Amino acid sequence: MTLTRMMIKYLLVAVMLFAIMQNKSYGGGLPVRPGSLTISPSVLYFFADKGWDSLSHKSPFAQNGKYTSISYSIFAQYGISKRFALVVSLPYVISNYTQIGYQSHSSGLTDLETGIKYYLANINYTYYFSLQGTLITPLYTDLNLGYAEPGSELKLSFAGSGKVVGRNYFFNVDEAVRQYYGNQGPVQDRYSATFGLSLDRRFKNQVIFSVGGEYSTSSFTTVSANQALNKNFSFNQATFSFGHAFTRSISVFVSAGTFISGRNTGDGSSASISLNLRPFRGI
Amino acid sequence: MKPIYKLLSLAVCLMIIIDVQNAFAQKSKDKPADTTKKEQPAKPEEDAATPDMKVTTPDPNAFYADKAVYTFDILNPSNKPQDGKVSYQVFSETGQKLNFDSLKVNVDKKANKKYTFEIPEAKPGFYKVNLMMNITDDDDTARRVFGIRPEQIRSPYKKPVDFEMFWQTAKDELAKVKPSFKTTFIKDSLNRKIYAIEMQSLGNMTIRGWMTIPKAGGKNRKFPVWVGLPGYQVNLTPIMADDDNLAIITLNVRGQGNSRGPIDTRRDEYICYHIENKDNYVMRGAIMDCVRCIDYVFSRSDLRHDDVFVTGGSMGGFLSMATAALDKRVTICSAQNPIFSDVRNLIGEVDWPMSDIIKYAKTRPGLTMDKVLNNMDYFDVKNFATDITCSTLMGIGLLDPLAPPNNEYAAYNNLSGKKRIMVFKDLGHEVNQVFATLEARWMMDTFALF
Repeated sequence: MTLTRMMIKYLLVAVMLFAIMQNKSYGGGLPVRPGSLTISPSVLYFFADKGWDSLSHKSPFAQNGKYTSISYSIFAQYGISKRFALVVSLPYVISNYTQIGYQSHSSGLTDLETGIKYYLANINYTYYFSLQGTLITPLYTDLNLGYAEPGSELKLSFAGSGKVVGRNYFFNVDEAVRQYYGNQGPVQDRYSATFGLSLDRRFKNQVIFSVGGEYSTSSFTTVSANQALNKNFSFNQATFSFGHAFTRSISVFVSAGTFISGRNTGDGSSASISLNLRPFRGI
Repeated sequence: MKPIYKLLSLAVCLMIIIDVQNAFAQKSKDKPADTTKKEQPAKPEEDAATPDMKVTTPDPNAFYADKAVYTFDILNPSNKPQDGKVSYQVFSETGQKLNFDSLKVNVDKKANKKYTFEIPEAKPGFYKVNLMMNITDDDDTARRVFGIRPEQIRSPYKKPVDFEMFWQTAKDELAKVKPSFKTTFIKDSLNRKIYAIEMQSLGNMTIRGWMTIPKAGGKNRKFPVWVGLPGYQVNLTPIMADDDNLAIITLNVRGQGNSRGPIDTRRDEYICYHIENKDNYVMRGAIMDCVRCIDYVFSRSDLRHDDVFVTGGSMGGFLSMATAALDKRVTICSAQNPIFSDVRNLIGEVDWPMSDIIKYAKTRPGLTMDKVLNNMDYFDVKNFATDITCSTLMGIGLLDPLAPPNNEYAAYNNLSGKKRIMVFKDLGHEVNQVFATLEARWMMDTFALF
């Protein structure tokens, strides 16, 4: 494997993380009804054939390199009480990298995330704050799938809804700090901001715009030939989604996203589809 | 970040900020209707622009520590300078003249000018103020109400020492009446089932109302309950909310709506019905009807017994607070402009209902107003308020001619549980959509109906 090829693969670590994290925008700051269960299976396709280096200079992958991944995820959220909710997500990822004379393939379950969300406070019962603590448990050893290190995350969310230009809207802002407990971290700052606008009276059809990103830092500051140690990168991405509710218990979301900026990461685009099922409405 | 994304982010932020400000403002967007204007003679077309005034006060609720502040903004679009004065006259809630002051006014043609008054009032309470402009081409008066340290308002009139005993006796009497609850399916609406409900209450009187229950959910689903209590001589009908979370009960207390029976008075007689005897006063029975309605809720296995919300406006607000005070099974209570608060202080402050009650007292041989007031002490919202321990939301209008803010605050300050009041400085005997929205969200949050 040439050094170039190795470098490109390292850049894809962040891409992989992005592909996994993109399905985590559910829940957010709104409290969860006790006894209610939300299950959301999703599929995300990601493609990248160029990337940003450590100076954020963008260039195509060498040797006509292409990275694709398909991530199958399941997300579940259960309201334990008025204040507490259990949040679980589990992705299964299939990734491929090809370039002239080289190809690699990885697949498997990645990081199981198990969290407890706590409804902190509200402003006028319109704007809500919640805090979520999450444990990250790697279910793999293949370093092409992630750090293979346990970690934890603390996330503060702010969400609300209202009316603007005669239409119902919702918004959600997440800010999270994640720490992996392996050698030299990394510590990551993860954020997302989402704004959704109903196209009708009750969010039967809606459009959603979101921006998000990660800033990953570690005392290990250079792009290493050892991909497991490549822990310094950042990216910002934008996603546009359309959602349709078939019933109050079944809805579907179709999304398209693209990276806006980055450092030590691939520059890619994504498409995803997810179902949102509420088999139990709760109390 | 690329400029387009920055712009989009900024737009999103702005929309959120605007809405947050609207949510915090808690004030009516309705323009006050209490401005009187001198009729102006017809003017030549070239001088059709007439002066006008805007009166503003910096506090959104018009609440102050010891000095109310009002600013006249005199707008003179005409081609003529305007001279004259602006002045204010403060009145107590009973109409007694208090502070007065004026300032000379001189506004150039096609100019605006501002004049600010600081109005000192030392005693906690609410004050009416007439803000007057008398200038060359216009006379105008704006009527407002401001509050001085309303959180310190207390009624000088004590609660009867046997208040709780009086109501315990009433509840004991009610308990002896077999409720004989009846629930009759009427019809389906789009998303709800509609039932007529019926029960026996104090004096074995038949009380009726309505219940609508969402169709959504399985047979074992239990619904939180919204109990709507009626205003004066209002006939409540089934409520068809576009909601699948709540059972909604609307109750017509005795002598009202479909619960008219032995008590079938003319509209203005109802408030005085047997007021000469506190044990027979119509409101004693009406309040017990509400308690019986809570019994009804607890008799049903499809209703959640730990999530019972009582709400109403005007007399409905009075009934809500009385019910919450007497029945601890009520989870949360909302009262909009409740009547009958600090009753003794209502004399001279309001026309209705005191005028009808005074008139009635005069027509009954041997009945004195003292006796009536002694009886009404047992039906005073501020006396019920001390016994309310559940979370309570109140909404009041500072210009309310039936439930004046002094009296409402005497009740609010007596509440011992978690409480909140929304004040609408430009509204009378009403609240607006801001209140309704907050009330609904508060209830949904309390019942965890996210």
